[in-house]
Amino acid sequence: MISLNGYLIISFCLFLAGMTVMIARKNIIAILLGVELILNAAALNFAAYTRFVNQNLDGHVMSLFIIVIAAAEAAVGLAIVIRFFQIKETIHIDDATELQS
Amino acid sequence: MFLKIMFVLSALLTLGGAFLTASSKNLMHACVYLLACLFGVAGLYATLGADFLAAAQLVVYAGGVVILMLFAIMLTGGVQEFVNKFGLDKTPSMGSGKTYTIAGLSMIVTAFIVMKILAPVFKTPAQTDLPAFTSTVEKLGVLLVTDHVLAFEISSILLLGALVGAAVISRPRRGK
Repeated sequence: MISLNGYLIISFCLFLAGMTVMIARKNIIAILLGVELILNAAALNFAAYTRFVNQNLDGHVMSLFIIVIAAAEAAVGLAIVIRFFQIKETIHIDDATELQS
Repeated sequence: MFLKIMFVLSALLTLGGAFLTASSKNLMHACVYLLACLFGVAGLYATLGADFLAAAQLVVYAGGVVILMLFAIMLTGGVQEFVNKFGLDKTPSMGSGKTYTIAGLSMIVTAFIVMKILAPVFKTPAQTDLPAFTSTVEKLGVLLVTDHVLAFEISSILLLGALVGAAVISRPRRGK
């Protein structure tokens, strides 16, 4: 049961859930939640391949960098969301139309 | 045996959390389900022998990112009705259950076909004898300052930039 395929299937389901959240939700914070799910799926893949295919720890380092980048992305993204809310009084994605011509 | 129980529990926590994150209407609940999902991913790291990664996942995500998300949700009005300032109704999500089912099934079928085509190309030898679990902290630390030192420094600059950027962007501007 504990094999590479099991982890890959879990990672695929995580990616599907994140993609669904990103496509379906219209709330900007919910879209950021979807991004977190997708980044976790990628990091889980790195760790699984490190365990089952080659045992050097480069995959762990990559997962660590993914976690770091996710933290930075969440900080900047939420800052943008809060600024957007201060200006427009909403966090609906359809209201972010400033850059449309 | 213990490993199997741990794997099944973590997998159930991960998949259930991800599914409930995608399906719950209340954004606050979705955030808490995301927390459960991240705990499950940390458990999966533990079953993979990545002890430092599991700890980092718990510290960074459960301690940082999810709390930040909860704060942002509360600061922006929590579970607000989607009515904009012109009084128009807005749907909180688009599509129905049927469209999501069709999209998911087609994605699974496409991924299966692509994997069947690409599997002979990217064939990797499967490891049959797995090594025993050892601590990865020391090796990871050595790798971070020898082989991956450039990425390490770049990520430190990235974190500094994200810190300053978040502070500058969300600062209230009273001047104009």
